[in-house]
Amino acid sequence: MSKNTSKPSSNPAAAQFSRPLRLSVSQDLRGLLAKNIGHGILFSITFVSVLAVMAIFYFVVQESVPFIFKGGFRDSLSRVTEFLTSTAWYPQKEENPEYGALAIIVGSLYVTFCSLIIAVPIGVLAAVFLSDIAPFSVRQYCKPIIEILAAIPSVAYGVFAVMVVAPWMQKTLGFSTGTNAINASLILSVMALPTIISVAEDALSAIGREIREASYGLGATRAETMIKVVIPAAHSGIIAAVILGMMRAIGETMVVWMASGNSSRIPSPWWDLSQSVRTMTATIAGELGEVPKDTDHYYVLFAIGLLLLIFTFGLNMTSEFFMTRFKKKSRGL
Amino acid sequence: MQVRIRQAWNHLFTILSSGSIVLLVAALLLFLIPMLRKGIPAVVFRGTVEFRKMQAELFDRGDTMALQKETEQTWQARQEIYTILDHFSRGIDTEKLTDEAKDLYRDYGQILRYQETPKEQYTELRGRAKEIRDHLLDAFESTDKDEIAAHLDAIEALRDEAAFSGTPVEKMFTMTGDFRKLIATVDLSKRDIFADELEVVKEELYNLFGPRPDEQTPQLAMKRFGATRWDVAEKHLTFLVWQEKWIPSDDGQTLVAKQVRRDDPLEGSFAGTELAPLFSLTEKILKDTMKPRFTLYWQYFIDDSTPGHYFGGVGPEVLGTLLLTLLAMCFSIPLGVISAAYLVEYAGDNLIVKIIRICINTLAGVPSIVYGLFGMAFFVAYITKQPGVLSASMTLALLVLPVIIRASEEAIRAVPQTYREAAMGLGAGKFRSFLTVTLPAAGPGILTGIILSLSRAAGETAPILFAGAAALAPIPDFGGKWWLQETRALSYGCYDITVGDKLAMMVPHKQFGMVMTLIILVLCLNVIAIVIRSRMSKKLRGM
Amino acid sequence: MKTIKIVALLAVVLTATHALAAEQLQIDGSTTVGPIGDAFAEAFKDKASITVSKTGSGDGAAALLEGRCDIAMMSRFMKDAEFKAAVEKGIMPVAHAIAMDGVCTVVHPSNPVSALTSEQIRDIYMCKITNWKEVGGADMPIVVISRDTSSGTYETFEGLVMNKEKMGDCVEYVNSNPQMHARVKSTIGAIGYVGLGFLDRNVKALKVNDVIPTRSTIAKGIYPVSRPLFLFTNGYPKLGSMIFQFCTFHLTEEGQEIIEDKGFVAVTAY
Repeated sequence: MSKNTSKPSSNPAAAQFSRPLRLSVSQDLRGLLAKNIGHGILFSITFVSVLAVMAIFYFVVQESVPFIFKGGFRDSLSRVTEFLTSTAWYPQKEENPEYGALAIIVGSLYVTFCSLIIAVPIGVLAAVFLSDIAPFSVRQYCKPIIEILAAIPSVAYGVFAVMVVAPWMQKTLGFSTGTNAINASLILSVMALPTIISVAEDALSAIGREIREASYGLGATRAETMIKVVIPAAHSGIIAAVILGMMRAIGETMVVWMASGNSSRIPSPWWDLSQSVRTMTATIAGELGEVPKDTDHYYVLFAIGLLLLIFTFGLNMTSEFFMTRFKKKSRGL
Repeated sequence: MQVRIRQAWNHLFTILSSGSIVLLVAALLLFLIPMLRKGIPAVVFRGTVEFRKMQAELFDRGDTMALQKETEQTWQARQEIYTILDHFSRGIDTEKLTDEAKDLYRDYGQILRYQETPKEQYTELRGRAKEIRDHLLDAFESTDKDEIAAHLDAIEALRDEAAFSGTPVEKMFTMTGDFRKLIATVDLSKRDIFADELEVVKEELYNLFGPRPDEQTPQLAMKRFGATRWDVAEKHLTFLVWQEKWIPSDDGQTLVAKQVRRDDPLEGSFAGTELAPLFSLTEKILKDTMKPRFTLYWQYFIDDSTPGHYFGGVGPEVLGTLLLTLLAMCFSIPLGVISAAYLVEYAGDNLIVKIIRICINTLAGVPSIVYGLFGMAFFVAYITKQPGVLSASMTLALLVLPVIIRASEEAIRAVPQTYREAAMGLGAGKFRSFLTVTLPAAGPGILTGIILSLSRAAGETAPILFAGAAALAPIPDFGGKWWLQETRALSYGCYDITVGDKLAMMVPHKQFGMVMTLIILVLCLNVIAIVIRSRMSKKLRGM
Repeated sequence: MKTIKIVALLAVVLTATHALAAEQLQIDGSTTVGPIGDAFAEAFKDKASITVSKTGSGDGAAALLEGRCDIAMMSRFMKDAEFKAAVEKGIMPVAHAIAMDGVCTVVHPSNPVSALTSEQIRDIYMCKITNWKEVGGADMPIVVISRDTSSGTYETFEGLVMNKEKMGDCVEYVNSNPQMHARVKSTIGAIGYVGLGFLDRNVKALKVNDVIPTRSTIAKGIYPVSRPLFLFTNGYPKLGSMIFQFCTFHLTEEGQEIIEDKGFVAVTAY
């Protein structure tokens, strides 16, 4: 083993190199402490996000518990059942306020599904275009456009929906009301598209070239390759993209508040999109300001928020599951 | 044959895919173009002399000498219109005459009491004055010429020079004489219709020209000036000249609107009266009375606004948004970058790290209104005790934290491993190499993430709805506890101005102007981020 | 020594600015009374720095109870529960009626119907009457629009026209007067209700039980659907204080001018 043979006293700079390379605990207590304490500080700062999530859950649950668990067990059960199954939402009635949130929950789901029906085909096709069909320069231009679409504030979309789309619907399409489910769904699909496109495109790109080349080698056209080979291979990633888009649509507040009409009922022929609906987010945003604190109405609004939180958390977990499955698969291949 | 069909499907697929991108671009343009087009008139428009007057009075701007000259010129032009109006309304505006008569009677009573007249004389004199007043009021109200003549004659009978000389009652007698002369020239049967329509005409002229110099200055700023924009002036001119009548449609089912000129010889309300020439005159000389000129109101972005946003700009909103977002960045950037550094450099792959990652993803997915609920239930209830700038910015910080963590993580991961190895090879420890080598190399990526989260925070409304945004709040003056005060913000202002106040309906260009400001702010931030990222990717690729 | 001088100077400057800071006034509450609050605040802007927050009558009452605001604007009187909670917390709410507002039923101007009885309006809002031809109009479905259930305007309408009956589920909800006005203006078959200040050439007010809503019928109480608008304070404000001046501004000529310009009826109109 060749060692540095210059004497330590003659060259001060070389003195450092005569130390053993690995110090024991007693020799470098300071360094060890610094490293571990530093590690600990960093960890606790990172842990703040976990604390934040727990805090959000805790406080939302704390304020909705008085609504759910009022009275005895049977009372609470009947309240929760009424909440989830009745469509009579009259929280401000003097004598017997009714808290039936079914119409509101259905409204949220209705608008979300309609927007997905519009957004998923367009999104997947656009992702296919960006990953396989477009030349590099076109892709460079398309990415900023999609990012700009994603960056526009929801309030601006809401103003657009109320002041431009709603009058157009009434005048040109002859709907009896311009603020309705289709209006909100259209705008929500535009908002969900960037999410769907970017995640789906990532998924499609992550499928290696080998699969595509194998398919082309067998004589398939590009359409057949995409439809029959690549998309099924990336199906977990695309499902994850759809779920993320759904999360975006269900959690959106300002657009549905301004554009959906806020009429608390389930559309009566269920396919009639031109009727007004009300969503959970719009109910919270619209009523929280007027409500005196610590009343039943206040608690029930937090209960709706809890429902939203549970929905999005569930969707998040599902999309995580699909993403990990997709990553495993694509790595395995 | 099979091949052809398959190729046809292939082409169809390609067309559909490119079509969806085209649809996207079309959607973006369809959104941006109307919003910007309707918002630009808030900044670039033809302003009238009223606008310049308003700027001079409310914002101390403009050339006073030139403005005075302009005001005089326009006043001269408007004189003609006012003369016609006054001449006609004297006979119709009985409300003014009625009020005048009532005032005279009250003044007379006051004078009698001041002079301390004895009780019987007071009652008798006052009784007679009351009779005269009542006759006058009846005369003003009635539309039958004979009845009026009877009332006026009765007043003459009560005329008593000695008792009433030098008192307001004498003025009542002068009014009698004037009125007698007046009714000779006016068609009284149509007076009710005239009265209503005259009110509308006066209102529109007020909307056009503002209060007259001899009138009292109104309290509200929006009432002190006429039409400040040429397009609004033209709109008011249309309302002035054209009257909308609703007549039954052909099938008798609904009413349809019919526009009729007010001086139309056949159907107009004022056909053949002295007021008729006013309409064509106003049309002809409107430009002289308003003096429209091209105006670039760039101070829109920094001016304060009068309540309801009728005049002025969006300055406080912009300031409020900047304040909220910068404060939110102060909270979230340290937290986010440090968390990302830990996750990339130091964390192992154990359960706790998995939980942390799950929580970050959950934070990213929480709906914005639930952030608002949390802000209200926690930040406002426990930390600041009242909604204000601090609670709103803490809520926003929590909202953008996942974005910063994700972007920073990606940026730090993207730094090639060779950088780190080179630094370690030169003897730097893990922490030092991270600080001096990796972090600067990931700088552009982190910066992109910060700018994107800035734009996200600037555009969010739901979290700050209950935690600190107000529709009307003073500009934060950093004097007292400014972090506990509520503030205005662009995003909240957009919502409020669209659904909030009656005034907003009258100034649609202001509504779109505020939205346009928000969109421009967000777009600028995003364009900067895109440019930084493309430069950085070029550098990394060239490397 | 230099440091002490600098610190002393800084302290003096800070306290001076704090003392010079204008008096603060926080006003929370109803979106209906909001425009009056805004306009009054503008009139007072040289004397005090006023923050007006329009989140709703209920929130205004809550803010007053918690001491978060000095004046609460409400378009309805305080409910029993709110009053009780206030007294328990040691707050004595005092009401100042600053203006009157009328809730006018409006339709599109092309609608030939010009008068309805309150029973007919009630049936329309309970979705029992669904077509205009049943009340003498064209053969067109009725688009029923209402304010959201937590608004003071809604409560006035519910109390005085609906007689506390529930509205049916064909009713659409909007969040504010201008929204209601915009919907009725652009929808031919619509019926809604707005405050008096929102009547203009784009909507037509209906006669209710043969009484047309105008300033004088509301002021004299002849028009049935009218209500006072309130400012609530904690106890009667100290004479001469800023709160006192604000709450009595409606008695001055300027205040009344502002109220009339905003489309309400001054309390002393007749």
